[in-house]
Amino acid sequence: MSQTQSATAQGCDFLQGNPPKNSFYPEQFLGDESLMIQAAEQFSRQEVLPMSWRLDEHEEGLMKHLVSKAGELGFCGIDTPEAYGGLGLPKNLAARILELLSLNASFSVTIGITSGIGQLGLILFGTEAQKLARLPHLASGEKIAAYALSEPNSGSDALSLTTKAEANGGDYILNGTKMWISNAQWADTFLVMAKVDGDKVTAFLVDRSCPGVSISREEHKMGLKGSSTARLVLENAVVPAENVLHEVGLGHHVAFNALNLGRFKLSSMSLGPARDAIGLASSYSQERKQFGRAISEFGLIQKKFASMATLFFAAESMVYRTGAMIDQAFQRYSGSVEDNMRAAEEYAVECSMIKVFSTEVESMIIDDALQCFGGYGFTEEFPIARHYRDARVSRIYEGTNEINRIFLVDRIRKRILLNRATPPKKDGSFVSELAELCWPLLKDGQIEKGAMADLLILMYGVQSCWSRGNALGSHALELAKSFENYANIRALEAYQLVTGEPIQIPKPHNVDQQNLAELVHEAHGPWHG
Amino acid sequence: MINILVPIKRVPDPYIKVKPLPDGSGLDVANVKHEINPFDEIALEAAIRLREQGVELAITVVSIGPDEAEEQLRKGLAMGADSAILVQKQGGMDSLGVAKEIAEIAKSTGAKLVIMGKQATDDDCNQASQMLAALLGWGYCSCASQISLSGSHIEVRRETDSGEQRVSLELPAIVTADLRLAEPRYIALPGIIKARSKPLEKRVPVHNDQVQYRVLSVESVPSRKAGKMVQSVPELVAELKSLGAVS
Ligand SMILES: Cc1cc2nc3c(=O)[nH]c(=O)nc-3n(C[C@H](O)[C@H](O)[C@H](O)COP(=O)(O)OP(=O)(O)OC[C@H]3O[C@@H](n4cnc5c(N)ncnc54)[C@H](O)[C@@H]3O)c2cc1C
Repeated sequence: MSQTQSATAQGCDFLQGNPPKNSFYPEQFLGDESLMIQAAEQFSRQEVLPMSWRLDEHEEGLMKHLVSKAGELGFCGIDTPEAYGGLGLPKNLAARILELLSLNASFSVTIGITSGIGQLGLILFGTEAQKLARLPHLASGEKIAAYALSEPNSGSDALSLTTKAEANGGDYILNGTKMWISNAQWADTFLVMAKVDGDKVTAFLVDRSCPGVSISREEHKMGLKGSSTARLVLENAVVPAENVLHEVGLGHHVAFNALNLGRFKLSSMSLGPARDAIGLASSYSQERKQFGRAISEFGLIQKKFASMATLFFAAESMVYRTGAMIDQAFQRYSGSVEDNMRAAEEYAVECSMIKVFSTEVESMIIDDALQCFGGYGFTEEFPIARHYRDARVSRIYEGTNEINRIFLVDRIRKRILLNRATPPKKDGSFVSELAELCWPLLKDGQIEKGAMADLLILMYGVQSCWSRGNALGSHALELAKSFENYANIRALEAYQLVTGEPIQIPKPHNVDQQNLAELVHEAHGPWHG
Repeated sequence: MINILVPIKRVPDPYIKVKPLPDGSGLDVANVKHEINPFDEIALEAAIRLREQGVELAITVVSIGPDEAEEQLRKGLAMGADSAILVQKQGGMDSLGVAKEIAEIAKSTGAKLVIMGKQATDDDCNQASQMLAALLGWGYCSCASQISLSGSHIEVRRETDSGEQRVSLELPAIVTADLRLAEPRYIALPGIIKARSKPLEKRVPVHNDQVQYRVLSVESVPSRKAGKMVQSVPELVAELKSLGAVS
């Protein structure tokens, strides 16, 4: 690496105490990038959303049909390299496109996995032959991929998995049950983690057609009913040795690096339903009249729109700031498997932070949106109840938010020891000041670590909001102020958890809630500059 | 090879409610999303399908409008047009002005066929195509619901109140698109990427005529006043009489 390159941005830079000067924000998707984003939104609104009920009822063939239609338009291989049938577009743009494809969460998880963690292991670690054999079919949407790590008794503690693989001539014989496998019903190819010789975690590409592979019945879920979630049962499944991905004993590298990027993608996917919910609540509250007025005119309803707009703005600012940095990492390190691993790992902390934040914001926004519908929100007459059920799982999969919180704090500690990060320093915001104060007091208690994670997430959020606000001015600045007000109060709570001490919180910025609500109604959804 | 011209107009998204400007001089469309006029998009789709049926065609999309209309032209290229021309014109132009510009482009590109929307959803004038036909002296058929090319003719079907009409026009000709002519395709990401390398030429208007009409005012339709409930027919009649609605 040359001198100039080493001076460029790195993971965990946000801790260093200088607010970012020119971090990326979503208004910087320009020209034909915005055309691509519009194309995704049009597909979602015209092809997917009208099918929501039929998808939830698992109408025969419908989901596969939508995936293949999406594939024809390029949506299943947006950031798959061109050499393997994809479009090779930047990951950040791919994530924004995926956000707009994600207005219906069941379709979102289906396409998100077949174009995301279903392919990522292969893209990062596959041999030329492995990639050529599978990626073009996945990128075109003719075939569907799945990712199989979890088991009935191994969830958060993923490495405690018990699926076994035994070498047998030129094959491996796999035995075990993988649970909660998204896309199981439709998938042609599974990325399966199993242990060789008792303890060597290894990634296998398991084709549906292998002998000994079967799928159990669908789980009966509270939401995401249109998606497929079932067990993958391996009973003496015969998998050729050439289907080992990367190396025997290094399957955890495959599994976890795919997940790092998967979490980034999931963050943008969580924004899709939240975006739709804001639009739905905005139309409804302008039409619904009580006491002779549209309910959108009541202060407490306006407060909800102001809050939805603020949280969406913050999540969006954080997600696409991160995506642009991930793209830079892939430009810096690209080619060998080691390079890919380095690039996928570089922003692992940021990926966990935005996963936690976006998925929590998704639920908060949808909850507020549902409240605007009153009793009708509690019925299936409007799509908001479905959004409510669907959103719940975002905080559970791809690492629960508890696991992600602990992971990100531990990872920063490790990076500090390796000289790849500094402890948090204040950058001008109150939140960052608290982060700096709390960090040295941190011990091994989970409760304190969780609070620390919150401080860091809020610090990243405040930075991202100001950076976008300063670049765009006016409404964006107003939203940045509004987020800082919110962040300060939450930071106070976290600070008290870590220190047990009181602290004086700064005077809130003056924010016109009604004006923020108006912005949402004008945009028919979250504000965009 | 036949050159086809498809004029596409940048219009405010027809599905979004717009408000008049406070001074009544027009509509407030400053922050409104813009689209290709839906009838023009149908016209473009029909042109692309002619090519997909195996006729050798070169499709040029043209827009007369502000620099932002490049967005709509890019979309046209992404759908499948081969090249684009933007006639840069800020501010208004009336139908005759538009027809004159398209006529120039038709001549300079050697177009043999112009397919365009029957009207634009912003001002609903429905005049530019007829004026263009008069200026060029070409055959003309409005409101096509189906088209096909055969040799030097274009065969057109149109739905009328009294039944389906079939018209055969010799090229060069002008045809306008009705709603059912073709359902526009979704733009695909590979199409958008391909469009990056397709030519988009910018020109200045050839004519500089004054707009020949003046907008007096643009107002919202007044909202309906609350009605009044009556109990019986005689009461209704009495009420209507008192309003002067019946005598
Ligand atoms: C709809 C759906 C789709 C899914 N799709 C897939 C898929 O495609 N592929 C796949 O491999 N998996 C998938 N999963 C599985 C998912 O990743 C797991 O459910 C998740 O990792 C949690 O594991 P678990 O359910 O066993 O919960 P557990 O690990 O048992 O956790 C239960 C609770 O304890 C908490 N907890 C556990 N350990 C700790 C700890 N150390 N510290 C603090 N708290 C802790 C958790 O945060 C959680 O709140 C899916 C799950 C669902 C519901």
